[in-house]
Amino acid sequence: MLRSCVCLQNGGSGKRRSSSVEDASSCRSSEIERVGASMQTTTLGSNGQPQTLTPPTSTRASSLLQLFQRKGWCKHFRKPLRGMSATRAEKTIRAAIFIQKWYRRHQARQEMRKRCNWQIFQNVEYACEQDQAELYKFFNDLIKHMPQAIEAGNKGQTSKQSIGPEKSATLYEETGEMARIQLELPIQKKHIDLMIDVFRKKRGNRLHPKYVCMILREAAKCLKQMPNLWMVSTAVSQQVTICGDLHGKLDDLLVVLYKNGLPSASNPYVFNGDFVDRGKRGLEVLLLLLSLYLAFPNAVFLNRGNHEDSVMNARYGFIREVEGKYPRNHKRLLSLIDEVYRWLPLGSILNNRVLIVHGGFSDTTNLDLIKSIDRGKYVSILRPPLMDGEALEKAEWQQIFDIMWSDPQASQGCKPNALRGAGVWFGPDTTELFLKRHRLSYVIRSHECKPNGHEFMHDNKVITIFSASNYYAMGSNKGAYMRLNNQLVPHFVQYISAASQTKELSFKQRMGIVECAALKELAVRMREHRDELEADFKKYDPDDSGCITISKWCFVMENVTKLGLPWRLLRDKLAPGTDSQCVNYVRTLDLLDTDVIMEAEADGTSVMDALYANKASLETIFNIIDADHSGEITLDEFEKAIDLLVAHMPGVYSKDEMLEKCRMMDLNGDGKVDLNEFLEAFRLSDLSRKEQQEEYLRKRSTCQRPSESVTRLADTISRNTLVVEHDIDPTDCEAKVVGQKS
Amino acid sequence: MDFDFNNDLEKRISDAFCVFDHHSEKLIDVREVGTVLRLLGCVPTEEEVNEVISATETEETSGVVHLTKFLPHVSQLLMERKMEPAPPEKILEAFKTLDFENKGYLTKEYFGKLMMEEGEPFTQEEMDEMWPVAIDPISGHIPYELYLNQLMVYL
Repeated sequence: MLRSCVCLQNGGSGKRRSSSVEDASSCRSSEIERVGASMQTTTLGSNGQPQTLTPPTSTRASSLLQLFQRKGWCKHFRKPLRGMSATRAEKTIRAAIFIQKWYRRHQARQEMRKRCNWQIFQNVEYACEQDQAELYKFFNDLIKHMPQAIEAGNKGQTSKQSIGPEKSATLYEETGEMARIQLELPIQKKHIDLMIDVFRKKRGNRLHPKYVCMILREAAKCLKQMPNLWMVSTAVSQQVTICGDLHGKLDDLLVVLYKNGLPSASNPYVFNGDFVDRGKRGLEVLLLLLSLYLAFPNAVFLNRGNHEDSVMNARYGFIREVEGKYPRNHKRLLSLIDEVYRWLPLGSILNNRVLIVHGGFSDTTNLDLIKSIDRGKYVSILRPPLMDGEALEKAEWQQIFDIMWSDPQASQGCKPNALRGAGVWFGPDTTELFLKRHRLSYVIRSHECKPNGHEFMHDNKVITIFSASNYYAMGSNKGAYMRLNNQLVPHFVQYISAASQTKELSFKQRMGIVECAALKELAVRMREHRDELEADFKKYDPDDSGCITISKWCFVMENVTKLGLPWRLLRDKLAPGTDSQCVNYVRTLDLLDTDVIMEAEADGTSVMDALYANKASLETIFNIIDADHSGEITLDEFEKAIDLLVAHMPGVYSKDEMLEKCRMMDLNGDGKVDLNEFLEAFRLSDLSRKEQQEEYLRKRSTCQRPSESVTRLADTISRNTLVVEHDIDPTDCEAKVVGQKS
Repeated sequence: MDFDFNNDLEKRISDAFCVFDHHSEKLIDVREVGTVLRLLGCVPTEEEVNEVISATETEETSGVVHLTKFLPHVSQLLMERKMEPAPPEKILEAFKTLDFENKGYLTKEYFGKLMMEEGEPFTQEEMDEMWPVAIDPISGHIPYELYLNQLMVYL
């Protein structure tokens, strides 16, 4: 698989260098360096690779060993060594090797830091996603245990009804700066230009809520007419552009539009989901994409991603973003956004040859089934679909899940995706069968952040495209978009937005920013388990010395946070100022209590916050438990559900706490609880949990100050993760074309 | 010595290995073997890295190394203290060997040529990454004593 590495092209010197995060291809995309010959047998057609290499016949190791084992290798004198005595030359070469190996060690350490940071970001991100996926599994279990729920349906709500307030409902006036532009239907290019001009600014970039409603409503109306899979063709345009995850990064979207032009009949675009969450401009990205769709309906194809889902939005920031920008109208807007989500098509098929979906597929994915379902049922993919008095089609629900959440893996087979908690990991064999079964050439997907914005896998049959640059932190990764010619041969354009901000910094400074952002994310995640960590540390420290062995520290960290990270390598940072034999865990805990980490935590949303914020989920839970639709649930029914809830979200509430809650809910003591009491109980328990936390923090603040090394680290993190808002300048990007031009 | 020395060592090796194991399959790309060894504190030559690869590469699928083979082999190497870092004096000595005229620095042309053509030559990318660290921007030369400090510092 890797016999033809790019490093072997240097005259077969056999020198290997480790693939770095910033390589033109990550180490798993050895395929991108493969030879034209092998490319011709794939359905990608003619060679679309950046370099044409002839496959070297020698192996990596042998040529180098030969070099050294050959007698009289001193004959390899070149200019620097000519005219020297043999021993002198020998000494020089030995010295050179010595320096080279030291330099390579230095580089390896840099590489390690990059990788470590990347692992932290990814692990924390997916672990959080796991929590959401838990909800899906919880519902599945709940439904399994309450079979009456399947038959009874969901309070008569059908997919044909639209959810949300009436058209005639009033909008409230918002306070603060509002853009003075006027928009009207039909949306045209001139409106797009106006919108981009407004959104670019760092202030006064909010549209009047009536225009927001207008765009959302019109878009949902049009999307509803579309089939589950867009049929895209390059017959007219002779080419097509594909973008991956944007996650609220408006600056990246503007870079793409700037470099690649606005959509038109000759310049069609497919946007492959995940428009919102995590980034701060999700609403603008969504509105701009929907407007582009309305203005150029045959040139813009929007696929749904796993973040086009209110349950995800509750956890990952989009709901808070909308609440913050439109405090008096957010409920109405979010409800209209839900309408857009449920009608977004689930994927695209290009020229009948290429499938474009957000996540991937599994060994049971059936496109015919996907084409035939009533997608409007799935307001959220993580909650059971609305039912029309029909039985819940679990297989169908799973199909949608698989295409939204799955990831490719290098090894063969297809297994549940333990990292995400939902969907599958699909191997090259799964890909081959899938393509054959559906007569496709290859698949384009997104869903995973890549250092270079894109990656090839499975013999170039699975291409990942990710368009949000600086996704984890400034300078963490490039974004990319893909262009396909009429033969569907791809090339990529990589970029970093706001490039001047990174350029001004030295390598060390840039590394510092990414590293501090990673530490901050990790520390916030650790804070969720702070008490558990403290308890476990103390268990291994009977003498209360404040120190435990390295192994024990690593064990506790992994066991409690459930994150598979190289803890040994992170020890220096998470227990600063500690020596090499043991770890001062008090410092770890102190770090979690510093202002910078606590502020970051307050900024984010916890699982239970999200669950409560998502009233619809709580309502659904209630409705499922209330199998006979009496409008009330008995303590017995509730107890059954609690077992499941506790099993799926351990550490959040204990069974006794929940039962107590239920008894408290039953205000009139008749052994039953209605929906309002149910919701109120969650709100109250959430409130009391927050009060408990505040009390605890008040107690702790009176304790001793943390050590100097902890304070210094906290300061460094604070300084390095400061974000300054600028107007967006799409020309300020560092773009590079990769791959063959059409 | 720690009682847990073997286990601790193996955990260290496993941790460093897993940084490059992207899908929790206990597999790494052969091209990462050098980096993993260097993370563990070793300073191997490319030849030594190749030896490790030859000894640990999976026979069935070339290009990857599995932890089950890597762990025992590298544990052994580390316990025998192979590929250990030398003291700073040795590196200084190496630089001084190259500095025939004892100027206290090396010229960019000479050093560049040497690094790219002799010993275990650098690729162009490695050279490009090295320059910002090695060169004194004013004189355009390599003041090797300072460069040495950079090399030895654990970032």
